[in-house]
Amino acid sequence: MTTHAQVIDKVLTNIEKVMIGKRDIAELSVTALLAGGHVLLEDVPGVGKTMMVKALAKSIGATFKRIQFTPDLLPSDVLGVSIYNPREMEFEFRPGPIVGNIVLADEINRTSPKTQAALLESMEESSVTVDGETIRIPQPFFVMATQNPIEYEGTYPLPEAQLDRFLFKLKMGYPKRLEEVQVLARAEKTVPIDQLETVLTISELTELQHAVKEVNVDDTIKTYIVDCASETRNNPYVYLGVSPRGSLALMKSCQAFALIKGRTYVTPDDVKYLAPYVFGHRIILKSEAKYEGITANEIVERILTRVSVPIERVKMK
Amino acid sequence: MKEGKTDIRFLILMYALAFVLLWEWLLPVIELTDTEYIGVFLWFIGLSFLFRLTGMKWWLSVPLKIIYLFWSLHFVFYHAAFLTKDSVGHLVRDLISNFAIVGAGDWQNITNPMRTVLFFILLWMTIYLIRHWIEVRKSILLFYAMTVIFISVLDTFSSYVAEAAIFRIMVTGLLLVGLLTISRLSEKHSERLNTGMFATFSVPLLFAVIVSSTFASFMPEKGPVWADPIPFLKSAVLGEGSGTGGVVSKSGYDFDDSRLGGAFSKDNTLIFTATVPRKQYWKIETKNTYTSKGWEQRIDENPPVTYVPGAILEEVDYSDTANNLHAEINMRERLPYLVYPYGTSTIHARTDVLLKKQEETGQLWAMKDGESFDLDSFSVDFTEQSYSLKELREVTMEDYHSDPDVPELSEYLQLPEQLPDRVRELAMDITSKEESIYEKAKSIERYFSRSGFSYDQQNVAIPRGNEDYVDQFLFDTKRGYCDNFSTSMVVMLRSVDIPARWAKGFAPGEGKANSNGKVEYKITNNEAHSWVEVYIPGFGWMPFEPTIGFSNPVGIQYDLEMDISDPETPNMEERERPEPKKDETPVAKVKDGGGFGPFLKSVGDFLQKHAWIGILGIALLLFAVWLVYRNRGKWVPKLLIKSHRKRKPDWIRFTKQYKSLLKQLERFGILRTDSMTLSEYAKSVDTYFGGRQMGKLTEVYEQGLYGGYTNRQDWASLQEIWEDLIIRATG
Repeated sequence: MTTHAQVIDKVLTNIEKVMIGKRDIAELSVTALLAGGHVLLEDVPGVGKTMMVKALAKSIGATFKRIQFTPDLLPSDVLGVSIYNPREMEFEFRPGPIVGNIVLADEINRTSPKTQAALLESMEESSVTVDGETIRIPQPFFVMATQNPIEYEGTYPLPEAQLDRFLFKLKMGYPKRLEEVQVLARAEKTVPIDQLETVLTISELTELQHAVKEVNVDDTIKTYIVDCASETRNNPYVYLGVSPRGSLALMKSCQAFALIKGRTYVTPDDVKYLAPYVFGHRIILKSEAKYEGITANEIVERILTRVSVPIERVKMK
Repeated sequence: MKEGKTDIRFLILMYALAFVLLWEWLLPVIELTDTEYIGVFLWFIGLSFLFRLTGMKWWLSVPLKIIYLFWSLHFVFYHAAFLTKDSVGHLVRDLISNFAIVGAGDWQNITNPMRTVLFFILLWMTIYLIRHWIEVRKSILLFYAMTVIFISVLDTFSSYVAEAAIFRIMVTGLLLVGLLTISRLSEKHSERLNTGMFATFSVPLLFAVIVSSTFASFMPEKGPVWADPIPFLKSAVLGEGSGTGGVVSKSGYDFDDSRLGGAFSKDNTLIFTATVPRKQYWKIETKNTYTSKGWEQRIDENPPVTYVPGAILEEVDYSDTANNLHAEINMRERLPYLVYPYGTSTIHARTDVLLKKQEETGQLWAMKDGESFDLDSFSVDFTEQSYSLKELREVTMEDYHSDPDVPELSEYLQLPEQLPDRVRELAMDITSKEESIYEKAKSIERYFSRSGFSYDQQNVAIPRGNEDYVDQFLFDTKRGYCDNFSTSMVVMLRSVDIPARWAKGFAPGEGKANSNGKVEYKITNNEAHSWVEVYIPGFGWMPFEPTIGFSNPVGIQYDLEMDISDPETPNMEERERPEPKKDETPVAKVKDGGGFGPFLKSVGDFLQKHAWIGILGIALLLFAVWLVYRNRGKWVPKLLIKSHRKRKPDWIRFTKQYKSLLKQLERFGILRTDSMTLSEYAKSVDTYFGGRQMGKLTEVYEQGLYGGYTNRQDWASLQEIWEDLIIRATG
């Protein structure tokens, strides 16, 4: 079992060579990758979002695509178009940038809702439908979308209901002082990303994704997850709580996270650690909360301090 | 403690209030035990608090307190403000001799100075506790509650009237508790209150206390639900309506004394009341023949003499009119013979009865129409006897032969043939130094209180086989009640040829002024008593009291010029101040007192008669159980370790161990909230103890609980870790 963890550790170490001091984000990204989910990174430009995704892609030897979203981008620019091939006398599908293993969707909130919807739908379905033809996107398929929280001018914020297409919503944050110095030092003569080697094959990754499903989630843990989710529905500040899909997402990510930690079972610590990333963007707050400056993540943290952790086996009623 | 330093003004206030509360403890103790000098104790408390407030170092305050203690002893017992060489020497000798007594656990014989020292020590400890409550715990509710309970119990069950005291206690106690709570709260939020803020908190409290207590003091008082709780409790326990007359399954006064010894149970049944100006011994009869197991009346008796009520039974000296007294006696229980005080000249009763008197035994009874009759009430004229010590000391053994008035006394010199010689030798030894009969008798009377004898109602032997009752008591057991002391004295007197007999009756009992201003004594079965009468030529039969804790009923005029070495005076004074209340005598004897059954029975009887003691006992027991439960953190782990070692090492055992460890850690003070995961908790535990033991155990537990991996081989090493950790968590 530990071999899985060792394999993943190689990937993480690899990413760390490029992304100094961001092991937690790398870990979470890999968690999402293993759980088959997608990640929304929300942060200012220049903190290494792209680098992160590139490093991940390079480490696993996957194809990497990047879509820079602009207001004039059309769905076909994302999904691909059918072009008439005069030689073959038929329309031929040219897949768009979405068809790749690892896709960076940069500044997703800058494009029109139409294009956003096309992206989100293909993320959900893992397929592209153009002109009535459906094309499966090759696995593994992992989208990392970024959005810039600073500029609101000319943006189209993602509809909150669509946010739960993303497994996690993460914040990158600035590196610490010494870490930033190190970043500079490494980039002084070389481009670190070019030196990265592939440490994981696609088939190995698929194997890992299967292994995630084997990670044991005890009934007590399931109950704990459900308790946490239902608390979000009863919270006075919350307009709309976490849906069962949210609970499911939390369970799956916990499984993946446990695998990364070299465990074959999920512990309450996994749940507590991941809940803010999974639940944070799935909660719609009431306006009171916004006035009081309470964020969704704070609500989740508060809920976690209230729900009791299962520490012994209780018979399910 | 540094940051928790409390304002000195606040402390002064706290100690002042605590002082008042302690005062309330002292008041009833002083009143109920007839101890004077409350001031001495109050000064001690005050000084202790003052030393504390001035922050005096212990090496200075402790010697100062000891000096004060010593001075107080000196002041109380020698009535002198300044130390003199003699008195100090005397005091020191007294205290030193008492250490041995205390060491031997012979509580009856501790002298008053030593008692005072012990009381001071008790006070000292209490003061220390109060200091702890005020300054460290900042919570004095326990002491306050104890004060209230103590005072209300005293108010209920003793003669102490605590109406005003309760009020004072409520006010001071509430203030103390409230102010300390404020101080505790401010400490909790680590904010020092300035005077203004303190006032904001305390003024409403002060207001509430004052208003509520003023209101309470003006409110009409509701009458008690129980007229008197003791009969109420009794009847509740016995299931009968009446309190006193409930169960008298055995006679209190035992007329069969042929086998003495054994434990006896208390019996509060009221036998009679006597309205009489002063305490009296109530005589019923005397016995003349000692059988080495008990007493019988053997010699053929002359027919009883008949009197009409009001006739003079005996010529007594009326010259001292101050001593001519009158007693009204109301019988509550039947006795076959009348009770009467020493010096009785006339008995007044209903005129349709005749009084019969058996001269040899002193038994008196009433007859009506040829049958014995129980008088409900009668009265007695009597003269309290007073003897001149000077004249008593002039009577010697010679006078038995030379005085022509001495009657035939041979029956009062009877002794069983098998009486061991050592009894006689001891008696000779005790009396040989004295010339007069009186002094010889006195020296035997004194012997008991000075030779390590103790008063005991429970652990009293019954002579078996060839054993002699007196010999057993004098040389083996040295503990017993009045029968042992009185019989032994009679036997010793007879063995040195002084005629003596064994007297029975009742001790004076408890007196209480009734509505007419007269003192009414209640005599219960507990007052049943026996003592000694000695014939002294020229004086007749004189009572003596050898039993420890009782005082001689006879008035002695100290018409001698006494030198200080005379042991009589201090002895008498010491006896005047016996234990506040001692239970008197053998009543219902539990025959065959050896086994466990009778013991249980006597305990049962005792509890039946004293329901409130039972209730108190249960309360104490519950308290003890609660204490044991509260301190379970100290002993539970040890039990757990033992029990777990015996179990099969597997997952189930480990689960139990882990859960008990969680509980123990929580008792130890490392708290776990419900939302804390086990590994988070383990981290804080490991941070506390150092190492990674809890983390290891938790990992195993989580593997089993969440992962289902319950098959392991390393249970033994886990057991070691667990034992180590739980022992550490015992603290």
